Amino acid sequence: MSQATQIEQRTTEVISSPEAHTAPPALEVSGISKSFTHRRRETNVLNNVSLKVEQQEFVSIVGPSGCGKSTLFHMIGGLVKPDAGTILMNGKIVTGQRGEISYMPQQPALFPWRTIEDNVLLAGEIKGTLRDGAREEARHWLAKVGLSGFEHAYPHMLSGGMQQRAAFLRALLAPQELMLLDEPFSALDALTRSEMQRWLLELWEENRRSVLFITHNIEEALLLSNRIYVFSGRPGSILHTVDVPFPRPRRDEITDSPEFLKLKRQLSQWMREEQAKNGKQPSK
Amino acid sequence: MRSTWKLIWPPLVAVVFFLTVWQLSVSLFHIESWILPSPADIARESTSNASGLWAHTMATLRLTLIGFPIGTGVGLIVALLLHLLPWAKRAFYPLIILSQNVPSIALGPLLIIWFGFGLLPKIVLITLVCFFPVAVAAMGGLAQSDQVMMNYMKMAGASKWQIFTKLELPSSIPALFSGVKISATYAVMGAVVAEWIGADKGIGYYMLLQKSAYRTDRMFVAIVIIVLLSLVLFAIIALLEKWLVRWKPRRNS
Ligand SMILES: Nc1ncnc2c1ncn2[C@@H]1O[C@H](COP(=O)(O)OP(=O)(O)OP(=O)(O)O)[C@@H](O)[C@H]1O
Ligand SMILES: [Mg+2]
Repeated sequence: MSQATQIEQRTTEVISSPEAHTAPPALEVSGISKSFTHRRRETNVLNNVSLKVEQQEFVSIVGPSGCGKSTLFHMIGGLVKPDAGTILMNGKIVTGQRGEISYMPQQPALFPWRTIEDNVLLAGEIKGTLRDGAREEARHWLAKVGLSGFEHAYPHMLSGGMQQRAAFLRALLAPQELMLLDEPFSALDALTRSEMQRWLLELWEENRRSVLFITHNIEEALLLSNRIYVFSGRPGSILHTVDVPFPRPRRDEITDSPEFLKLKRQLSQWMREEQAKNGKQPSK
Repeated sequence: MRSTWKLIWPPLVAVVFFLTVWQLSVSLFHIESWILPSPADIARESTSNASGLWAHTMATLRLTLIGFPIGTGVGLIVALLLHLLPWAKRAFYPLIILSQNVPSIALGPLLIIWFGFGLLPKIVLITLVCFFPVAVAAMGGLAQSDQVMMNYMKMAGASKWQIFTKLELPSSIPALFSGVKISATYAVMGAVVAEWIGADKGIGYYMLLQKSAYRTDRMFVAIVIIVLLSLVLFAIIALLEKWLVRWKPRRNS
């Protein structure tokens, strides 16, 4: 309820201001590098990564496995300190600061002793922002993602895909504005996946939160994003930045348009090249 | 119902088989009953002497039910304190692990010297015996929460206290219970040993009496009572666990 009014305020702000971009970006990552030392062997995971998520923008990251995408999220969330570089949110330096983002981890990581409803409310509980209507709101959303009847079930009673949807809701209902989603649909079958994509697209176009989204699925990235960053293999750095031109609201049909297919081919080509390069190097 | 029966019958058959072999060998090999009484002898003795045994059983049970909660509680408190104070844990954890090697029961005579013959040395002994399994299991459980969940809590901005109450404590419950179950059986054993060292009632005291009279059958009755006491206590804890940890997936095997 309060979220809706917040979102409205934000929208009017943007419309009324002469230049939409006078507000500082929701997230600005600049010059991030990171190495891990494990058993005296140093692995360079990220190399001079800079990227931006403007207010109410949907931005995706695609890149080969192991290129440091999840590690980047851990740094934005303040869990891991970068060796170099800074992280800004809404113009303020938040490097190493926790509790500023809403997060969906790669593994659902639902708390097994909490019911689905309690799991979904966890982020608000931690921040102390739960209001009277929170439980009803959670139930309303659970029904929307096809989890009605499971409000009081424990996570182990759900399938992998259902757990992922619950973890997604936990991020969606979190009080923080910026959402980091780490491969939210990876455990879903193709059909459910495209259904969830469409659902997320619609939801996002209604609510316009700032989102940073990791995926391996190029079509998914093209369908949802305003911008896509293509990462190189390890050490991860940004190879290409693609601005996705399709107007909103987007409908499923754009996936058949020639322009979409061209972009898709281009991105797949880049990904294949990176994967091939990685394959030739001895792994690690 | 069916599945519980499936779980129960194999050990039941084993027990019946064991008792049959025992009964048969005693009568076949003409073993004197003061060396090894037959199961039938033991059963007969336990019914004929029930009223006297009841008082002794109650005394031991009372001792157990005082010592066990105290020992478990102290173990839990120490584990929580050490977990919340990392420097204290670094200092004391190795000592606790090491001191597990001291047979607490062997301290009984010392405790009598220090605390006399009353209730106190017995309670101290049971506390010591129960303390270690609980403390060690609880500390292990508290330190082993899931890494991904821990990362989630930290990135969501959870305080140390929130991490403790919402993640570490609930995820330590199964480990904690395995410690409490061990300490439950230790508690009965501790009570009996405490009664050996100095008491005027209880199953331990009864065993000493029967030993000097060479009443092997009665000693076996005492052993059966000890086993039953342990089993009942264990079962109560297991039920409590089942109720508290109902969020856990059932093991299917
Ligand atoms: N805490 C850590 N200590 C040591 N190495 C780490 C740590 N975290 C990540 N790494 C290493 O960093 C590299 C990148 O890992 P990361 O999980 O960020 O990859 P990813 O891009 O998310 O891959 P995927 O697409 O498979 O999820 C891996 O080689 C991993 O082993
Ligand atoms: Mg990852």
